[in-house]
Amino acid sequence: MSTTKADPIIEVDDLHKSFGANEVLKGISTTVRQGEVVAVIGPSGSGKSTFLRCLNLLEAVTSGTVKVEGVDLTDAKTDINQVRQKIGMVFQHFNLFPHKTVTENITLAPVMLGRMNSKQAAERASELLGQVKLSDKADARPAQLSGGQKQRVAIARALAMKPDIMLFDEPTSALDPEMVGEVLDVMKSLAAEGMTMVVVTHEMGFAREVSDRLLFMADGLIVEEGDPREILANPQEPRTKDFLSKVL
Amino acid sequence: MQGKFKAAVTAARAGTFLALLVSLVTVFLGMTVVGAQADEGNDAVRGKSFVIATDTTFAPFEFRDASGELTGIDMDLIREIAERQGFTVDIKALGFDAALQAVTSGQADGVIAGMSITDERKAVFDFSNPYFSSGVQMAVKADDDTIASYEDLRGKTVVAKTGSEGLRFAESIAEQHGFTVKALDKADTMYAEVTSGNAVAVFDDYPVLAYGIDQGNGLKVVTPKEQGSSYGFAVLKGNNPELLAAFNSGLAELKADGTYHDILVDYLGTNAPAEDTQVEGVEGRTFVIATDTTFAPFEFRDASGELVGIDMDLIREIAERQGFTVDIKALGFDAALQAVTSGQADGVIAGMSITDERKAVFDFSDPYFDSGVQMAVKADDDTITSYEDLRGKTVVAKTGSEGLRFAESIAEQYGFTVKALDKADTMYAEVTSGNAVAVFDDYPVLAYGINQGNGLKIVTPKEQGSSYGFAVLKSSNPELLAAFNAGLSGMRTDGTYQQILDNYLNAPEGDSGTLSFWELLVESFPALMKGLGMTLIATALSLAFASALGVVFGFLKVSGKKVLQAIASTYVAIFRGTPLLVQAFFFYFGLPAALGTQIDVFTAGVLTLSLNAGAYMTEIVRGGIQSVDLGQMEASRSLGLNWMQSMRKIIVPQAVKIMTPSFINQFVITLKDTSLLAVLGFAELTYQGQQIIARNFRSFDMWLIVGALYFIVIFALTNLSNVIDRRINK
Repeated sequence: MSTTKADPIIEVDDLHKSFGANEVLKGISTTVRQGEVVAVIGPSGSGKSTFLRCLNLLEAVTSGTVKVEGVDLTDAKTDINQVRQKIGMVFQHFNLFPHKTVTENITLAPVMLGRMNSKQAAERASELLGQVKLSDKADARPAQLSGGQKQRVAIARALAMKPDIMLFDEPTSALDPEMVGEVLDVMKSLAAEGMTMVVVTHEMGFAREVSDRLLFMADGLIVEEGDPREILANPQEPRTKDFLSKVL
Repeated sequence: MQGKFKAAVTAARAGTFLALLVSLVTVFLGMTVVGAQADEGNDAVRGKSFVIATDTTFAPFEFRDASGELTGIDMDLIREIAERQGFTVDIKALGFDAALQAVTSGQADGVIAGMSITDERKAVFDFSNPYFSSGVQMAVKADDDTIASYEDLRGKTVVAKTGSEGLRFAESIAEQHGFTVKALDKADTMYAEVTSGNAVAVFDDYPVLAYGIDQGNGLKVVTPKEQGSSYGFAVLKGNNPELLAAFNSGLAELKADGTYHDILVDYLGTNAPAEDTQVEGVEGRTFVIATDTTFAPFEFRDASGELVGIDMDLIREIAERQGFTVDIKALGFDAALQAVTSGQADGVIAGMSITDERKAVFDFSDPYFDSGVQMAVKADDDTITSYEDLRGKTVVAKTGSEGLRFAESIAEQYGFTVKALDKADTMYAEVTSGNAVAVFDDYPVLAYGINQGNGLKIVTPKEQGSSYGFAVLKSSNPELLAAFNAGLSGMRTDGTYQQILDNYLNAPEGDSGTLSFWELLVESFPALMKGLGMTLIATALSLAFASALGVVFGFLKVSGKKVLQAIASTYVAIFRGTPLLVQAFFFYFGLPAALGTQIDVFTAGVLTLSLNAGAYMTEIVRGGIQSVDLGQMEASRSLGLNWMQSMRKIIVPQAVKIMTPSFINQFVITLKDTSLLAVLGFAELTYQGQQIIARNFRSFDMWLIVGALYFIVIFALTNLSNVIDRRINK
């Protein structure tokens, strides 16, 4: 997929993030373009999840700027709740609402935020459940679902708000191996539809096949970035080599 | 009883009297022998140790001095007696109710706690000879000039001590004067009620009030002594007779050698009653004393034909104390007076009112009885409760009596007819047969008749009082008069006088002591249900407020804002870090005293419970919210919901489910905590139980019932809550 001509949708400039004295992000600058799928890999503790969470300000930024569709999230005047409606997020541990049914999980935010009435939201939920192949689970409670099913509901929930961007924080790490495929399939079809996606992942196969660009992070910095196939096949930096030798 | 025309005594009757006198002397001798045996019986207690229960603070009878030592009149008496009688005492200061319960439950051998000798208590306890004569007075705040008599109490609240004579007296006049009586457990609590303005007056025994005022409790006494009572040492009925005997002989010894009087002076100072003085010139002599034939309860013959009564007991006791003997001649009232004027008798004691006319002929002693006229009606007659109800009716009174004089004085005003009769039994028969609706007579006479089951009841307060005196012929036998006065004063001081009156005037033992468990349950049920209602209302209100406080402060705690968290943490720290009881005292006594405003006990109680339970609810809410996975908030926020929306839709519903068991737990705790408010006089379930026990001493049965009520209610409500919990939080 060609990316060069598309507009930038996320612009990160010199992003720093500290937890107390511990600096986790040490100056990240990168740009994600409309429709681009960016995979972020790196050893644990490299700061990749924190980086992702800074993109919708689930983590407060210590310094630097994050712009989404031109809006500076670090500006105190920005209504972060408005921006977040355009950014869907999928978590490692799904974080479904256990006291709600599958459909309610999906319809809650659009209705609550006045984006749809409940009828519209229900139709949208039904459509999304069809997309993630869970139409039969519409009235189930999260506790009745498998991990893979939960994650697909979580994706549907994020999509209900019709976001421009989807953030995935290790979406398959908590899954049993046999369920990884069904989640990746949904993500692949999303990518194919042109969704802008930033995916923190350990799935090198997914990174290679689906993503347009790969970021390798280590120690709070982007160490190497570029075409996924090139980097995975022929890493330039010693730390990239070291990491890939362990995971591949 | 002026104006009683009695038949002159016959020679034959006098003969009977001589025989009687002999038998009386024999009885006295017998009593002396018994007394002597009691002394020897000290071996039964020598070397033994007895547990003696007492009140915690009933100054000047028992209280802790500056060094924390338990001291007071009771303490000095029991310790001195123990030392003299060769036993040791282990004194346990438990509070008054608890002290009585300790004896009834066998936790203590005896109780000495400024405890009035009453018939109700006699059903449960065996009492020693009285050791102090008390009386109830009313005290108000020292700077309160609005309350000077009982009439000023209308619409107000007064306090008295649970189970005390003060309480009994206050309750007896509460309806008449339209005030509310609240019973409390502790003297300092009572005084605090009055100084803080929660109550306007306190009713208590005079030495206690006098001592408290002396110590600067900020009150002043405004009424004379009422409803005298005698204090006695007590053991459980039928138990420890040797301890009782040892107490009596020890007390007698203390009185004899002046130690008793020294102890009283130590604590009461100038208020101490005068010591028995021995009057010169009467010892060893015999005086002829004339009296009436029948003027119950002052003089009459008991079932065995012996001349007994208040007058008889008084003159005999005085004679013994002053070391003379009496030769009593029952002549009839007029004849008795004539016997004295003619020199046939040395003195007369015959329920004789002190009047100016008689003072011209006789020298009177100090008055020994204050009488007064009362109205009695048929016991089952509810239509006559005041003089107003007499219109068009007929009443009876005794010829020549104060009762007749009084009835006639108000007959026109109230429009009734007065009929004069000669004999008491005829009068009563007129009323019970319905020929007359009421009888007017001297109150002791009426009281005694009712006591004996004449089927009447008294419906009005005492009127037109007169005083009875012992008399000698003017200017003769001054030493006899002095001896009578000295002996009477001694008997008043040590309570013997009151005991004699009680013997004749008090109502017989109620049947409360013989109630079966079920009868007791039925009798106490209404009061207990009222208490349970208060308990539930206070619990419900407190929990509602506590929940609101818990939500507010709980959210402050999870708000992430340091200042708000500090506010919530301070609140929790204060109310979780201090005892509920201290908080209750603070809000009820402390705050009103500081602010000069009044807080009624219900408000103070609910306020305390709300704030206290609110602290725990805060922690429950905080814990509930924090136990919801952080990812829930993140997921919600990532969808664009703000913090408040996320809390409401996502976090709180899950937290509530987690909190429910803790909430039910807090509900049970708060319900039980309401019982602590009993010390403030808040009329909840435990308080009602205490009040009933103070009356009937059935502590085992009552606490069982009260405990069972709590258990049933809590069990039922807990199960109900659990069912609701399961249904809502599926």
